[in-house]
Amino acid sequence: MPMERADRIGTGVSAALHLGVIAWAIFGGAWIKPKPTDPVTMTEVSVMSEADFAAMMAAAPKATPQTSEAPAQPQAAAETAPTPEVTPEPEVTPEPVPQAPAEPAPETAPDLTELTQPTPPAEVTEVPPEMLQPEIVPPVEVPQDTTSPDFSPRPRPKPAPRVAPTPAEAPAPDAKVSETAVAETRPEEAPEPAPVVEPPKEEAAPPEATTEIVTEAMETEDKPQTSAPLSTPRPRSKPAKPAPEKPAEKTETTSAKPASDKPAKPAAAKPAATKPAAGDAVNDALAEAMAGETEGTGGTGRAPSGPPVTAGEKEALIVDVKACWNVGALSSEALRTTVTVRVAMNPDGKPDIKTIKMVGFEGGSEAAAKQAYEAGRRAIVRCGSDGFPLPSEKYDHWREIEIVFNPEKMRMK
Amino acid sequence: MLRIVLAALAAVSLTSAPVLAQQGPLRIEITDGVIEPLPYALPGFVAETADAGKMAADITSVIAADLSGTGLFREIPQSAHIQRFASFETPVSYADWQAINAQALIVGGVAMSGGKVVVKFRLFDIYSGQQLGEGQQLAASAASWRRLAHKVADVIYSRITGESGYFDSRVVFVSESGPKNARAKRLALADYDGAGLQFLTDSSTIVFAPRFSPTGDKVIYTTYETGFPRIKLLDIANVRASLLPEVPGTMTFAPRFSPDGQWVVYSLEQGGNTDLYKMPVNGGAPVRLTNSPAIETAPSFSPDGARIVFESDRSGTQQLYIMPASGGEPTRISFGEGRYGTPVWSPRGDLVAFTKQHAGRFHIGVMRTDGSEERLLTSSFLDEGPTWSPNGRVIMFTRQSAGAEAVSNLYSVDISGRNLKKVDAVGQASDPAWSPLLP
Repeated sequence: MPMERADRIGTGVSAALHLGVIAWAIFGGAWIKPKPTDPVTMTEVSVMSEADFAAMMAAAPKATPQTSEAPAQPQAAAETAPTPEVTPEPEVTPEPVPQAPAEPAPETAPDLTELTQPTPPAEVTEVPPEMLQPEIVPPVEVPQDTTSPDFSPRPRPKPAPRVAPTPAEAPAPDAKVSETAVAETRPEEAPEPAPVVEPPKEEAAPPEATTEIVTEAMETEDKPQTSAPLSTPRPRSKPAKPAPEKPAEKTETTSAKPASDKPAKPAAAKPAATKPAAGDAVNDALAEAMAGETEGTGGTGRAPSGPPVTAGEKEALIVDVKACWNVGALSSEALRTTVTVRVAMNPDGKPDIKTIKMVGFEGGSEAAAKQAYEAGRRAIVRCGSDGFPLPSEKYDHWREIEIVFNPEKMRMK
Repeated sequence: MLRIVLAALAAVSLTSAPVLAQQGPLRIEITDGVIEPLPYALPGFVAETADAGKMAADITSVIAADLSGTGLFREIPQSAHIQRFASFETPVSYADWQAINAQALIVGGVAMSGGKVVVKFRLFDIYSGQQLGEGQQLAASAASWRRLAHKVADVIYSRITGESGYFDSRVVFVSESGPKNARAKRLALADYDGAGLQFLTDSSTIVFAPRFSPTGDKVIYTTYETGFPRIKLLDIANVRASLLPEVPGTMTFAPRFSPDGQWVVYSLEQGGNTDLYKMPVNGGAPVRLTNSPAIETAPSFSPDGARIVFESDRSGTQQLYIMPASGGEPTRISFGEGRYGTPVWSPRGDLVAFTKQHAGRFHIGVMRTDGSEERLLTSSFLDEGPTWSPNGRVIMFTRQSAGAEAVSNLYSVDISGRNLKKVDAVGQASDPAWSPLLP
């Protein structure tokens, strides 16, 4: 019996507990849920913000009127103690108070700044590069443009490959095309030497590479030089030997070096004379021609022989001269003036200072040209004192130099 | 016969061919050089009288400072000189000067005679081995010895560069003192190098924008002595100033003389609008030059007096415009980014200097009168107010540093953008205006 009671009691208790738990699970959750929402953010927002806002709102409007009251506060503060409670407010006011009297002073100053200067904000720096550009741009060395024309004809070699592959015997069709172009240059030179020399040359080697590629590119520019280069290049070395003999006869030349250079040209023509050696009359005529040439070389009539000064050699000269061409002290007008200066050179590469002269100018007044000329003259004298880097074997080509001083890239705009 | 003919032809061809091949002189073109100061030698001027020793030394040092200060010349130290001049007539040994790479040599002598200083000098071109120009002799009172030195330097500068000098000139400016928020300003006058500083006004009122008359004997400026900006004309000789007539209820400022000195062009503010006017210096009815709701100010005449360049914000931003001196439709000349102001026409007439504000920086720049070829010469926190040297080669302006301790100083720069330097001798200063060469 007691067991039954205990069982009943136990089941009853457990049933009651289970029912309680179930009831709590069902109804308790619904009751509890709203509770957590109460404490959440509502308290924080309502309590804190209202106080702050209230304080702020109370403080903000007070700030402006306090500026006028502020001066009075120090007096009350000195006498009455309760003021400490108000002290938090004065802490805000002190700032506007000093600002108020300070403002009138700036008000007068702005008037000045508005008239004399635009409002100056200060920050970044980007424009400096703009300042550098105009200066940097000019230095860019386009001077090569001056030499470029020498190389401009190079594009013409391209047509050469077409000619080169064509066999020698296919002339009939190709000849029509090539003849028109070649005939214009050759006929003028060929007809004279043709009867004497050319026959053997045609058989030996219509030097395909030379005639087709080299001459086409070179002839158009160097029509007059085509005859010179053939005879000049080698003769140069020989002239030195005969030189001492002939000058001794003339004894007119002042310096030994120029004298040695003069015979160089006649000697250069000797090889040409050896070719026509077949005929005495021709030899005599050539000898006369040679003699005449030597006699006439005393001045400007002398023809330069040998290979011309190369672009590289010119560039070396340019580099040497420009290193001494100081335009720093020139007037802005002189910097807009291009002057052409001519100077006779000694065989040692040094300029004959007495011969320096201005042969032309453009872009400025005569006074400006004189200043520009003096700067160019100083450049020649200074850097030429040790001799310019010029090939002595080509002296005939640079015995006189004409230098164009163009300050285009140096000028102040 | 045939052979003879052929031989003759061959001979002719051989003789003529080289002539045809004659290329003339070897021709090269130099488009690129160096820009560096021209080295010159300036041996101490010889004291030709016993009492002229110090004067000779002082004059020599001023000449050297003038020439070297341009940035175009570099003095070779006297310790490097090989030849010494015991007399003004000592012949020049060019080789000695070439050896030290001197390109110009200045030899001079100083004598005291009857209370006056007498200076004579010669200039030599070392590499041409000859005298450059003729010798010259100048005399002045002992008190004017600096002007003597400046004049000698002007002559030397002119002979070497081919353009007139600017050493014998003065600068009027606003001298500043005190803290930034209570700065005292007054007009001051000094030599172009800052020497001989003297004040033209006291610091009781704010003054700014002084400008020289074409003859350099008067200064026109803006003063706040009435509480509003007004234009005042000051005679330097007696330091007397008088207000120019004005229309009641207006403010006038930014005055500048016409090249003939007969007119003053200025800005007039009335009812919140600012336009340009001009009036005769000796009094008379003002002539209105512009009429727009925009702010027009900072007018400057062209050297021939035919045109006026000024700044205006009629386009929405501050830009530069040019109009006829009698008024009329202006032409805008500045089109770059940023704001342009305080234009000043070059004495040569070819350039306009200006202040430019862009990207938070201020610049002094120049452009041609058609607005082309704009070049900025300086860049800093605050550069403004350019003024031209009498020869149009140098620009002086105000540079203000940043911060609470900001100070204003005068700076000068060559129009090439080189040789930027501070005019130290005048202390804190702003609003410089360069005078013409002194008579």
